[in-house]
Amino acid sequence: MILKWVYRGAVVMETRTEAVDLVGDDAAINLARAALFAALVGAFAYVSFPFPFSPAPVTLQVLGVFLAGILLGPVWGGVALSFYLVAGALGAPVFSGGSAGLGTLLAEPTLGYLWSYPIAAALVGGIVHRGTTLRNPREIGVATLVGAMVAGTVVIYTFGVIGMAVVLSLTLPEAFLQGAVVFLPAEAAKIVAAIGILRSDAIAAA
Amino acid sequence: MIELSGVTCRYGPGGDRRAGGTDPGDGDTRAGETRNGTTAGEGGVLAVDDVTLSIDDGEFVVIAGANGSGKTTLVRTFNGLVRPTTGTVAVNGRSVEEDLVAAREAVGMVFQDPRDQLVAATIGADVAFGPENLGLPREEIDRRVQAALAAVNLSGREDDRIATLSGGERERVAIAGALAMEPDHLVCDEPFTGLDEPARRSVLDRVRTLHGDGTGIVIVTHDLRDVFPLADRIVGLSNGRVVVDGPPERAVASLPGIDVRVPARYPPDTGADETGRSKP
Amino acid sequence: MTLSYVPDDTLAHRLDPRSKLLFQVGFAAAAYAYTTPRGLVVLTAVAAAVLGLAGGGPRSLWSYRFALPFLLVAPLVAGATLGDPWFRTDRAFETSLASYRVLLVLAVAAAYVRSTPVRDSRAAIQRTVPGRAGVVLGVGVALVFRFLPLLTHDLRTTREAIAARGGDRLPVHVRMRLVATAGINRAFERADRLGVALSARCFAWNPTLPPLAFGRLDGVVLAVSVGLLVVAVV
Repeated sequence: MILKWVYRGAVVMETRTEAVDLVGDDAAINLARAALFAALVGAFAYVSFPFPFSPAPVTLQVLGVFLAGILLGPVWGGVALSFYLVAGALGAPVFSGGSAGLGTLLAEPTLGYLWSYPIAAALVGGIVHRGTTLRNPREIGVATLVGAMVAGTVVIYTFGVIGMAVVLSLTLPEAFLQGAVVFLPAEAAKIVAAIGILRSDAIAAA
Repeated sequence: MIELSGVTCRYGPGGDRRAGGTDPGDGDTRAGETRNGTTAGEGGVLAVDDVTLSIDDGEFVVIAGANGSGKTTLVRTFNGLVRPTTGTVAVNGRSVEEDLVAAREAVGMVFQDPRDQLVAATIGADVAFGPENLGLPREEIDRRVQAALAAVNLSGREDDRIATLSGGERERVAIAGALAMEPDHLVCDEPFTGLDEPARRSVLDRVRTLHGDGTGIVIVTHDLRDVFPLADRIVGLSNGRVVVDGPPERAVASLPGIDVRVPARYPPDTGADETGRSKP
Repeated sequence: MTLSYVPDDTLAHRLDPRSKLLFQVGFAAAAYAYTTPRGLVVLTAVAAAVLGLAGGGPRSLWSYRFALPFLLVAPLVAGATLGDPWFRTDRAFETSLASYRVLLVLAVAAAYVRSTPVRDSRAAIQRTVPGRAGVVLGVGVALVFRFLPLLTHDLRTTREAIAARGGDRLPVHVRMRLVATAGINRAFERADRLGVALSARCFAWNPTLPPLAFGRLDGVVLAVSVGLLVVAVV
């Protein structure tokens, strides 16, 4: 009886300051999905694919950004990538090569790419769903999907190139040469992969 | 005391996962229900069909049924995780609909696969999650964490990382997380799935002790072998309906008919008047 | 070797996460403002001391190796010019300093990561970001830490399964699609179970905040951080 006893005796000392304000069940699931998607984008950092002409192995992180916007929508997609950045800044090994730390967001050459992720996810989601109410991804035309992801890519590389120029004291053309040219073909492959994912019946969530 | 009256749960056709609230969650009800459940006339799926049931404080109840029999959906109405399409659920005399917080405090729930329900990096932080949500003062939270960890034999392990634990330890942490809410009833949904024999025994041993200390226990399972000797009562479900309700030795006669695994030493009793059916 | 929290009792471990975060911002600002040989010498000493006080060392920087190609190539890209004189050493030197500056900021960040458990970081968020945003961010970030290893494992398993069935010969976008699809499905399955578990545990907008202790030493770190910010801006 000991456990119960202590329990009942302690009821007296409970002093709740205010009524419990429950997070709604749907919001809890949305939050869980955003957090798991953020973790998935982090896990994508560990899966690299050798790619022709690319000096560094290509990871699926940008694909994760696109799909966050498309599958979670502009709001929760943006939230997911914000979770990703904050978790990485606070020590979760989710940045490239399993690195972490606020320094990555403050001084690392690729910081512009990272800062752009929440914005790009929200943008892709906003274009695909034409607002914050989610549409079934299967009912969205390929042209819209490609257009949204191309817009997302433009945002990511604009932020990325400017960031690299600032961090390394390079001119914009120099930064573009070093940080963008060789990676762009891989982005095309990710867009193709994303269309394939959304057009197939493979995603149970869609 | 949990009281269900005429509870029916129907899921919409398709069951859009993005909608969140409609999805019952585990494989027991998602895939299974669509295949095996009774399909309702007006579209959608009938997971729980007109169940009236009451569970007393301190009672050890086993809810048994095959995959897709609706048992997960049924227990999720106890604390408002699933809202019945029709019928009412009350915990300690209060409607779950009206006081969700009270229902969720009184009915602690542990789900299949503890990996997907632990929220923190360390044991102590995880067990504290529930009491923190209740807005309790820090000293009270700490006291509850200690008591809950003691109840599952994990005292002094607060700082251990969840990622390093064995399956049985994770299951016990999940139980501690529910106990820290100081529930009247502890509901465990398929607690032994994926555990090896020693882990099953240690979880079972903890559950038995908790029951001895006065906590009501509800075990949801399709495999009665471990819990059969402990149960005060067995409720058998088939296609969302209660088909058996009674003490184990009486209920066993009807169990093979609902496709659950029973212990070998309880062969089906063919005694004519010992079927223990709750409904004629 | 991944950079991560290491339980210890160093000076850095005893500090409040909020003062450690502000210090990183101050340090980075100073590093941007004083990217001169003299400034970088001083900042190198500070960074080395900070990392040492957290029980770390040069090895803590190993996880940042993926930034190295950028840092090494940048001075060459900056120095190269089309036409006479083909290579401008002044531009290359400027970018070399900038590259070095990156390492210093990363070293200070490594000190935070090494000395701060997730629980403290979550507490720092929930005590800094007000209201529901703080709850969402705090819990979301804690969940990223918790589920990253599980999802990494899921992806690895998928990749091995694909390779075992000769999938290595497939075009790269097909392999990307297969891995991503499996990852997303696993993530959604886990998320749906997790969401229900959160609700069952009374997930609330107004929880008791995790404890943090702001000590005297934190006052000192705070003052230094503000000082660095002021020096950087003025």
